[in-house]
Amino acid sequence: MNGDWSRAARSREGRVARGMIAGGGRIVSRQKIIELLEAVIEPGDRVCIEGNNQKQADFLSKSLAATDPAKVRDLHLVQSVLALPSHVDLIERGQVARIDFSFSGPQAGRLAKLVEGGRIQIGAIHTYLELFGRYFIDLTPQVALIAAQMADAEGNLYTGPNTEDTPAIVEATAFKNGLVIAQVNQIVDKLPRVDIPAGWVNFVVQAPTPHYVEPLFTRDPAQISEIQVLMAMMAIKGIYAEYGITRLNHGIGFDTAAIELLLPTYAAELGLRGKICTHWALNPHPTLIPAIEAGFVKSVHCFGSEVGMEPYVAARPDIFFVGADGSMRSNRAFSQTAGHYACDLFIGSTLQIDLAGNSSTATKGRIAGFGGAPNMGADARGRRHASPAWLKAGSEDARNTGMPRGRKLVVQTVETFREHMEPAFVERLDAWEVGESAGMALPPVMIYGDDVSHIITEEGIANLLLCRTAEEREQAIRGVAGYTQVGLARDRRAVENLRDRGIVRRPEDLGINPRLATRDLLAARSIKDLVRASGGLYDPPKRFRNW
Amino acid sequence: MKPKSYYEASARERMAAFLDPGSFQEFLPPTDRVSSPHLRQLDQPGAFDDGILVGSGRLAGHPVLAAAQEGVFMGGAVGEVHGAKLVGLLERTLVTRPAAVILLLETGGVRLHEANAGLVAVSEVMHAVLAVRVAGIPVLVLDGGQFGCFGGMGIVAALCDAVVMSEEGRLGLSGPEVIEASRGVEEFDSRDRALVWRTVGGKHRYLLGEATRLVEDTVPAFREAAIGLLGTLPVFGLEDLEAEHARLQGRLERFGDCRESFEIWTRLGIEDPQALPLLETSAFLAQVGGKRG
Repeated sequence: MNGDWSRAARSREGRVARGMIAGGGRIVSRQKIIELLEAVIEPGDRVCIEGNNQKQADFLSKSLAATDPAKVRDLHLVQSVLALPSHVDLIERGQVARIDFSFSGPQAGRLAKLVEGGRIQIGAIHTYLELFGRYFIDLTPQVALIAAQMADAEGNLYTGPNTEDTPAIVEATAFKNGLVIAQVNQIVDKLPRVDIPAGWVNFVVQAPTPHYVEPLFTRDPAQISEIQVLMAMMAIKGIYAEYGITRLNHGIGFDTAAIELLLPTYAAELGLRGKICTHWALNPHPTLIPAIEAGFVKSVHCFGSEVGMEPYVAARPDIFFVGADGSMRSNRAFSQTAGHYACDLFIGSTLQIDLAGNSSTATKGRIAGFGGAPNMGADARGRRHASPAWLKAGSEDARNTGMPRGRKLVVQTVETFREHMEPAFVERLDAWEVGESAGMALPPVMIYGDDVSHIITEEGIANLLLCRTAEEREQAIRGVAGYTQVGLARDRRAVENLRDRGIVRRPEDLGINPRLATRDLLAARSIKDLVRASGGLYDPPKRFRNW
Repeated sequence: MKPKSYYEASARERMAAFLDPGSFQEFLPPTDRVSSPHLRQLDQPGAFDDGILVGSGRLAGHPVLAAAQEGVFMGGAVGEVHGAKLVGLLERTLVTRPAAVILLLETGGVRLHEANAGLVAVSEVMHAVLAVRVAGIPVLVLDGGQFGCFGGMGIVAALCDAVVMSEEGRLGLSGPEVIEASRGVEEFDSRDRALVWRTVGGKHRYLLGEATRLVEDTVPAFREAAIGLLGTLPVFGLEDLEAEHARLQGRLERFGDCRESFEIWTRLGIEDPQALPLLETSAFLAQVGGKRG
């Protein structure tokens, strides 16, 4: 064979050479960034603008949206999130032909309008892990615009606690003839440690302002309701204790924050210290501080960091994954893998649950995407190692007949009515309509009903594993749906029968007195309590303070 | 379990834990359904106690009259009935002569729905407070609730003999959002919560001498402080008023050009003022001892 096997490699050499001229070297001044982007990006390129629900390559994104649409066009965006206004500006300017992404959050409404108007084609909406996977198969970026905290003169990068998606993006791009351009907050003589070696990075620019990081996982304990305390008591006593859950992941929200804050009080009173919640795949939630300080927690691996938690995390290297330099390193791809395969339980909240237990956060007029929840909130069918919790759940699963196997616990915790008195239980998910109007192949379901093992509401716990038929499952869900239309339409006799079989359990069936579910049980009742619990190490963002 | 947080407790929980156990006798309890006629006309939800409970009880054995505003109901705002209950309680003092009147205030001031009736009610409260003080009965204010103490009731608090605050408590005339709305975010960013607390919060009010005592955020801490003040407060007279005016004039001269609480604290001679917001109450009191304005 004497074919040409290195066209892509030569293309990269050409781009680098053009970039060196436009940018004036590897370290590019911020005034030349637009010229650089115009010089190295070719029409039709697959481009990844790094960003997720925490850090964002915001300066590079804004600069890309300021390039000449005649030069930078027909792009195929392949990236975790479309969360910044500049991401959507780029689409509105007509520079993007196609997008493949995971999550759009704050831009969900604008994105839905662009799709409806035919301005943009969505390839697919993925989970984080799926998209990372496709970076190595068929969606490898030709240009990656990434964010790091610091660079040195050679171009080595320090990404520190907010390492997040960077290794996955750079690995795929740099080793498949792609170009990596990094925005950094600072250029220093010596990095605390090298997270990304200079050989994988082509250009570095110092951004005018530090890259944006959203304090997404901070929940003020002052806002936790007593209903959430009750549901947290049920989760701890009815699920964590019964299955002996040691390895787990918590979704974001006040429901799970309540559980974290009940560990040093309620769970400790039940004698559960050391028996539950020892190993976590979790961002550094401030509300986990009291449990860590109380000796509940042995290990936490993080998807990303959390604003203000850095000094606390650095001071607890026995618990978190901290480098020899003393700062944490997160890694979204690995933590997602850990959450999927190495945890026995996921618990999270949602907006809508249907009669089969399917749940969705999609609402009309918004294309919000998936993020990481579907990988956390799914039974890992490829899992082979056993644990007592996994085996117990597997033994309860009515679908497991014949060959014995285990089961991950996937728990949804919702109040029967959410804000504005919208029912959390519905006959038909809004996801159907969202899917149809956006031309998706499937309705955007966050967690499929057949992956859900339990639903917790203030009315009780429904154990869906034990249900033998679709009818039983429906009545079990109606049985905890309270005064919603779905709940009121339950068959009372069927629900009482399920209660006799332990499929529906009320707080009193669990030995929980709802009158004792008060905020006094919370190990911290304010952000300041969390600062106290951390010994002054946690430094919360200003907007969360009341002192 | 930790002692009950004053900040989080309801007005009824505060009253029950503040007074001697079981001693509280409520006047016009919710069962009497004396509620706002104005809210009913406006088709607004009302409260059977109109957001305030008033009554008699004992504090460390001493007979007292007490009132507590419920912040959860309309931010503790004062309407006609709410104000009348407070005025009635204060006027009763002149007859029964208790050891003190204790006001557990949590309020944004006048209830806008009731307009002039609310304004008149607040002015009547001011008048009644001064009458009670002149009669030799001290009036104590406790301020540590979620809504702080603002508007006309902020003035009422300033008219009383003593104010006990927690760090979480806030005291002022116009609330942070009102200032921002009328003077702009450059003047005062009400979402910068650290700024809000170091301007109207308990620590700053204590340093300025507006709060007599600063306590931890627990109901027992407020109770201990109030017991400690009983019997120590001199009878109010004209000389006291003139002395207070002179003190305020002096304060204006000393700090009038400061733009920030930190500047005032520095001028008070406090070392490392930036660290004050983070200090626990006991450490704070030790740090600022003898340096109040």
